[in-house]
Formats: sequence, C-alpha cells, structure tokens
Amino acid sequence: MIQKIGIVPGDPTAPVFHRFRSESAEHLLIVPFSRVFDLSSELARGFDAGDPSVLALAHALAAPTRDEVPLEDVVVPSPQSISLNVSVACNLACSYCYASGGAFNGAQPSAMSWSTAQRAIDQLLSGADHARPVTIAFMGGEPFVNRSLIHRAVAYADAAAKSREIDVRFSVTTNGTLLRPDDIALLRAHRFAVTVSVDGGATLHDAQRPLHGRAAGGSFAALRRAVEPLLRDPGLAQIVARATVTRRDLNVASRVAAILKIGFQEVGVSPLRVDPRGGQALVGADWGRYLDALKAAARVELTYAERHHRLRLTNLAVALRQIHRGASAPYPCGAGGGYFSVASDGRWFACHRAIGSADFDLGDGEGLDAEKRRRFLKSRHVHAQSACRRCWARYLCSGACHQEASARSDSGCGFIRGWLEFCLATYCDVLNGCPELLHAVPDADEGAVR
Amino acid sequence: MSTPEVVKLLPRNATALRKTQDSTRAPRLVAGNSVATRLESGVGNCFPGLECDLRNLERRFFPFLEVDLGDTSIDVISVDLVAARSAASRGEIEASALAVYRTLARDLAARRQWGIIRVKGTFGPLGSLDVVISALSGTSAGANRLPPDAWTAVRLLSEGTDVEIELQQGGRRGRRLTLRGKRSRYLDDNGSLAEMFMPGELTQSLCSPWTHDFRDCGCFYWASNHPDVALPPLPSTAPPDPAWGRAAPWERAERSLEAPPPPATAMAPTPVELRHYDINLKWQTLNFVLEGRERLAPYAQQQFVGRPFASDGELERNLRYAAGVELAVIQEYLAAAYSLKPAEALVGVLRDTVRAVHAEIMRITLGEMRHLRAANDVLASLLGRPAFIPALNVASKIPGLTPGLTQPVSPRPLTPDVLEEFIAVEAPSTSVDGLYSRILATLQARGTPADTEAIRTIMAEGEDHYRTFRFIKEWLAPHAPAAYLRSVAPKRPPDDNAAHDQLQRKYGALLSLLYEGYLQGLPRGGPDINDARAAMLGRGGLEGSVQAVADQGFLIAFDPIADPRFSPINPP
Repeated sequence: MIQKIGIVPGDPTAPVFHRFRSESAEHLLIVPFSRVFDLSSELARGFDAGDPSVLALAHALAAPTRDEVPLEDVVVPSPQSISLNVSVACNLACSYCYASGGAFNGAQPSAMSWSTAQRAIDQLLSGADHARPVTIAFMGGEPFVNRSLIHRAVAYADAAAKSREIDVRFSVTTNGTLLRPDDIALLRAHRFAVTVSVDGGATLHDAQRPLHGRAAGGSFAALRRAVEPLLRDPGLAQIVARATVTRRDLNVASRVAAILKIGFQEVGVSPLRVDPRGGQALVGADWGRYLDALKAAARVELTYAERHHRLRLTNLAVALRQIHRGASAPYPCGAGGGYFSVASDGRWFACHRAIGSADFDLGDGEGLDAEKRRRFLKSRHVHAQSACRRCWARYLCSGACHQEASARSDSGCGFIRGWLEFCLATYCDVLNGCPELLHAVPDADEGAVR
Repeated sequence: MSTPEVVKLLPRNATALRKTQDSTRAPRLVAGNSVATRLESGVGNCFPGLECDLRNLERRFFPFLEVDLGDTSIDVISVDLVAARSAASRGEIEASALAVYRTLARDLAARRQWGIIRVKGTFGPLGSLDVVISALSGTSAGANRLPPDAWTAVRLLSEGTDVEIELQQGGRRGRRLTLRGKRSRYLDDNGSLAEMFMPGELTQSLCSPWTHDFRDCGCFYWASNHPDVALPPLPSTAPPDPAWGRAAPWERAERSLEAPPPPATAMAPTPVELRHYDINLKWQTLNFVLEGRERLAPYAQQQFVGRPFASDGELERNLRYAAGVELAVIQEYLAAAYSLKPAEALVGVLRDTVRAVHAEIMRITLGEMRHLRAANDVLASLLGRPAFIPALNVASKIPGLTPGLTQPVSPRPLTPDVLEEFIAVEAPSTSVDGLYSRILATLQARGTPADTEAIRTIMAEGEDHYRTFRFIKEWLAPHAPAAYLRSVAPKRPPDDNAAHDQLQRKYGALLSLLYEGYLQGLPRGGPDINDARAAMLGRGGLEGSVQAVADQGFLIAFDPIADPRFSPINPP
C-alpha cells in the first residue's frame, strides 16, 4: 500500500553523525536512521578530531539496512488518518487561535454536514491498509459545538470498520468546557485519544483562553468541572493535556504542575511560533529561555519518574520513545501522506491547520489529486528545505510543522537542537538507570493525530 | 570496518542494534531469574536438593548421550546425533564412534533399549576403576572399594577425564558396543550451565512444594524460601511502636496486623505457629520476605547511585586498586582469624563460638579470593589478551570508614574495636562497597553484561560479609576478649623468625601461580589456578605456614613485596 513516487536526494556534505555526552559516557548519533551508540573515549576522540577512518565508519553505519527505506525516497502511503473539521465555532476566544475559532478567516463558513462526514469516513475506510489501524479525529473550532455529528460519526465508523475488520480509533482535540455526560460516555466507550487544551493554572489559563463575549466565570473553572468525571474514570480513553506556551510566561514547570493538579496524568507543552494577532509568539532570546524552562520541567519529571516509573511530560516521553525506536523520517508528520484533514465543505487538505490554503488542498470526496500530492510531498521533504538539509537534527525534527515553516528562525531551530541534545543524553542515562521508563511511555504512533 | 573498532562501539537503540547486530535484539525488558535462583544460591543438599535435583547433571555425563540412572543400571534414553555428526565433521570423534551413536539412535527410535553395563575411568578419590554397573552393592567400604550405586559412580568421574563405556542392547545376551569420550563439562567457562541441558531439566524430578513439611523444617533449614522468623510487615502509616522492629514467627497462626505480632522466642515457638493442616490451606497467606521484612505491597527497589568514572583509564586504575584492596583485606582477615585461640583448647559454648567465628572469617577470606579473581576477569575482559596484565599488587591502604579517606593496611587481633572496623569496611554503600559502586556504574554504561554481573556479585557478597561480621560481634559479645584471643596485643614476628619467612615465601609463590594463571586465562591458565588453590590449603600450604606463625604466639603479617608484579599499590 506504500508506493515510491520519486526521490529527493540529500546533501552529500550534510553531517552523518552527531557527537554528544551523557552523564556517564560518550555517545554517537548516526543521523540517518537515528542510530545511538556508546563510544569508547578513544573512538570519541577519533570522531571529534575527524579521523578519516572513523568518518568512514560513520558513513558505513549510516547506510540503510535491508529492511530500512532510504531517507531520500518520497513514498505515498494509503491515508490511514483523517480529521473531520466538524465545527466552525468555539465558545472560547483564544487570541492565538490558528483557526480563528474554526472559521479559518472565512474559508470554512459553515459546519460539516452528516453526508460530508459520512463520505469522508467511507473514503478513508475503503482506501486504508486494513492491516493497520485507522484514526478518525474531530477538530474545529470546538468539536463538541457539533456534538451530534461526532456521536453519529463514531457510531457509523465503528460499525463500518467492524464490518470490514478494520481497527478504528478516534481522536479529539477539545477545550473541554462543553463536555456533557453523554459525550463522556462516548469517549469512555471507544479508543479515543483526547487532547484537552489547557494552558496552566486558573489565572494564566483564563487570560490566554477567555470565554467568548460576556459569558460569566472563567474557562478554567468550566473546563475543570466538565473534565473531572472523565479524568476520574477515563474508560478506554487516553487523556492528555496540551498547553500553549506564550512569551508572556515561559515557566513550563509551573504550568505543568498546575495542570497535573487538575488530575491529568500526562501534559504536553507547545511553544507559540505563529501568532495571528502578533505579540505572544516566541522570538529571539525567548527560545533560549524556553529551552532552559523545558529542561527544568523535564528534570522535575525525571525525578518523579525514577520513583513512580511514569513520565508525565509528553514532550519528554515521546522523544525518549522515538529515540529508543530510532525514529527517523524526512517528514515531521503525516500531512499529505498518511493523514488528511477534511474541511466542512468536503475538501481534503494536507493538514488541519491549512484549511482554506490552496497549496495544501489535495482533493475531495471523489479522490485525491495524485500529481498535486506528489508535488506537495516532494516540496515538503526535509531534503528540500534549504534551512534543514544540512542540519544534524534533520531526521528527528524533520523540518517541524509545515504551517510554522515561515516562522523558522535560527533561535527557534537552536531550541529544537538543544532539546534533542538534552533528550538524547537523557535517553542514554535512562537506558542505564531506569530502562523500564522506556516501556511505560505511550507509543507516539498510536491514537493521536498531532 | 576492523573488528577492534566494532567492539568499542556499543549499540543502544533499536536502529543501532539493527545495523550492528541481530535485528531481533532491540533493547527490551526481559523478565528473568533473579540471582537468588542461581545454583549456588540453592539450599545445598543434593538428594535431591530443594531448588534443583543435582542428580540430573549426571544424566549427560557422557558426550551426546542422555541416560536414566538407577541403582544398578544406566539406561540410554536419547542420542544427540546432530551434535555427534557435527563433532565428527570437525574430527573430534572418529567415524567408528559416530557409527555407534547412529546405531544407538536408530535402535532407540525403534524402541530397542540400550544400557551402559560397564564404566571404566577415573573415579575421583577411588582412583582408576573398571566398574560393572550391575555388580554395585549399595555399600562402599574397605580397601579397593567400589562406588555404592550407578549415580555415585558417575558422580565420582572427574570432569574432562577419559571414560570408556560398554553398552549392551536389550537383555543379557544383547549386542555390545564400546564408546570412549571425556566426562562432560556441566558448566561452561562463565560458570553457566552447559548448553546441552534443556530448560527445566534440573528441576524435572522435584516434587511439588512441600508446604506440609514447612511446619517441621525449622532452624533455618529452608532459610532461602522459608524463614523461621522475619520482621512483621509495617502498617501503612509509620508506626511509633518499636515492637514492629522485632522479629516474629513467619508462620504465625494469628495473621491480623492490628497490633505488632508477639516476637519469636527460642523457648516456645510452636503454639503460635500454623499447624500442619493449616499450612496446606493457608500457605498463600505467608508473606514474601525481602530484606528481612515481610512485604504486603509491591517492593520498590532502592535507587542505585554510583558515579561512573570519567575514562577507561580511570576505570582500569580503580579495578587494579580494588583487586589490591581484596589482597590487603585478606591479610587483615587472616591476622584476625588466627589471633583466635584454637577451639580445641576451649570448652563449652566458647569452644563452639570460636570454631564458628574462625570458620566464618575464613569463609569471608575465601570470598575475597573470588573477588580478586572476578576483578581480574573484568580487567581481562576490558583490556583483552595479550594487553591484560594481572592485578595482584597489594594495596598499601584500604578505603577508610570516612568516604574518600584511606587507612594503612594493619594486621591486628580480633578485638571488639577491630571487629567494628571490619563491619564498617564491609558495610553497604561505604568504604569498599563504595569503590565497587563506581566501578559498577561505569560498567553499566559501557561494560559487558557478564562484567557488570561479576561486579554485582562482589557487591552482593560484600553485604553477606557485613552481615556475617555483625553475627560474629553478637556471638563474641558475651565473652571477654582475653577468653578467646591468644593475646589482645600479639607482636609481629621478629625479622629472623623462620616460620614468618616461610610464610612470606609461600605467599610470594602463591601470587606467582595466580599471576601465571590469570595471565593466560582459561583454559590455558587452569592448571596454574588449580596449583594456586592447592598451595593455599593444608599443612604443607599457606594454611600450614599461617598456623605455624600463630602457634608461636605471633601476629600473622605479610611484608611488602619488591617484585613489581606484587609491589604495593596506592589508591588512584
């Protein structure tokens, strides 16, 4: 079901290895296929000095094995995941919202109809690789503004997948404030990855995520009230909190602590790179401070994890898991490959953040535009990104979010490299000191659409 | 890519393993047996044994054959023809022998029985014999005695020696064949069970858990899996009552924990314990005991903290020093053990106590010899031969009671103060253990699993030494030092003392044998290591020389050696 449609050659002068140290030893990352090794101090010196025989060793290690797909290949998998933009409205008025509340600045004027959702589900199930799970996500706006469509789509997809013997999973990104008992029952009864947007404690959250208009009370209190029963009894659902960090408050650890206090078991943080209204996105020196703050939060969580064998900071847990598996990809996500986002009018876009964007519009319910999809995938390959193709982190970061590429900066990339360097060293330390942690973190490939 | 470069590069994550090793060897957690399940950790009687039935080892005493052993019969039950063919292709057995194995295999497949009727070989202390299995009588006494039964006969065959067996098909008049081979090795070079044994083979003949017998087997008979007494499980809230720190009968009948259970007493333990029939019904209520205390909740392992050494060179220097420390503490322990009065010269409880104390200190001393060997094995593994040079320099100073400080090696009699020092030196996480914890942390990061396990074993045994010295303190506490010591302040022998000189010569010769043995490694160095063992024991060995010095009332002391192989080594 995976078709090779071309190649985008890498830069032959790009580094094939990266040297790093953990608390206990010298290490080597072979950049292609993210292979991690411990080095003797003698060999470490050889790498640091650029010894030709040692560099030849690095190139030999960088070559793909028989089972590995060359990283220059452009492959087209069958779509396995879609998100349905079921709602065009939201009860919150977050200033940094990329979707302008779900309307995408007028590109998505009306909510999704049942026939559009049904056609998208049918198209996904008929084209998917039945041997692998498929995921249907619900986005918006606030998806639960259109809860009847979610309930209907889940019931329909569940039955349709069963009849075709397909493993179907669901995902929803919600602000949590509108959840009702019937919604919670739905989430509990299915394999839902539930991402709840919560930015910190009450004051911070209410400031960043205010209720629309003149609604009484804060969104934090509403979220807490509505989510509490689900946190107490999640059923089959996996619940993660996701916080947007703005330059106004870079203290990650305090945000994470406040969110854990609500009762979430896992929290991920995400820095704001693009702010439609300006002013809150991280710039320049913010990135260094953010890196320090994220590492500080990670250290707190590592200390907790040593005692409880559980990592609660999703950023760290996923990074460690990915390094453990040797994750290595020329794309940062499945956009336009295994993942599409269906707008309310039925158009298939490469990504849920690109609704209305002509470059990302790759087809509709009748089918995908193969040539446009090929061009999109070639243009988004990390080898085609001039700022990324010679970076040592190119197959771990993979160029980061397509939608944020325009905001890419040296300082922002410096943050990513710094964080990866920290995670690589932490991985080696964890592997020595507490390897069971690597088996306790959830598999990043399962469930969620990121 | 040359081989030496490969071994310096240790793959860690899945893709690194896929590139350099078997793709199925991605790092993952594997549930395995704990060290407490090793053969040497088992309760050590072997008829049939409690953790395993050691008699099953003899089922594979002859190459490529598996046999059933009766009192006066040995039946062949299977033939490893694949291994025999492989050995023949390598020229290790002759074609005629392979033909015999083929015949046996073919006949067994056709349900035609074969037995071993005669075994000729070297039967340990009984010497060279030609034993007709059916003639064994069940007794073994007098001159020219034979083993009592077939299993004992096979058990007595010395490993690696030539054995000839005569096989007979079916009954008395059946066809006869002869095979010659070496008595099999049951363990490999690492001390692990040889690969020919199948999982479960050593336990196949054990009966089910003898819960009923628990009640009758007290007095620490089943110490590893059936403690007589243990500290009671702590309530979930921290108890102020010191009664929770008193050992209680593990099999106590009253199982509630609302109050601390009555402590165990030597006087009348029986009424408070479960009865035989109760145990059969309630065995599952007996709690797991870890670190001496019964546990009701999942056990959280204590965090291991050890700061790795920064470089391979630093690791090597510390391993050499660690080996030197083992030699140095052996000197101190020998001095202490032989400062005790001979047990035969004492009476009553004190006689038994001194005998036990002496035996335990000598057991610890032998343990330190094993540590010396382990430290050298790890060094050899790290450096590789021929670069490896044995570590046999005696430490001039040993780690002190304060972390980071050292103190000179000082042979002294076993006074209460010295005993306290031994306890502190062997205490977990400090002193010598602290040195090994850093070695372990380094090896965990970049050593082989075997090396890491060797250091773990040293540390685990160090904890046993610590406990033993605490027991010794308890045993000696009721007695005045003058009652059990030859002298509370013995002198070192004068320079011209012949017994002392002889002791120094024998010590030097012993170290030389060890040096040669370690240098060559196994199997080539085996004879030297065996000679070293022999040079330690008996009246003609180091043991006799130590005794001779002690009998003159002097302290056992060892002079610094000028030979650079054994000259004093300072802490790194």
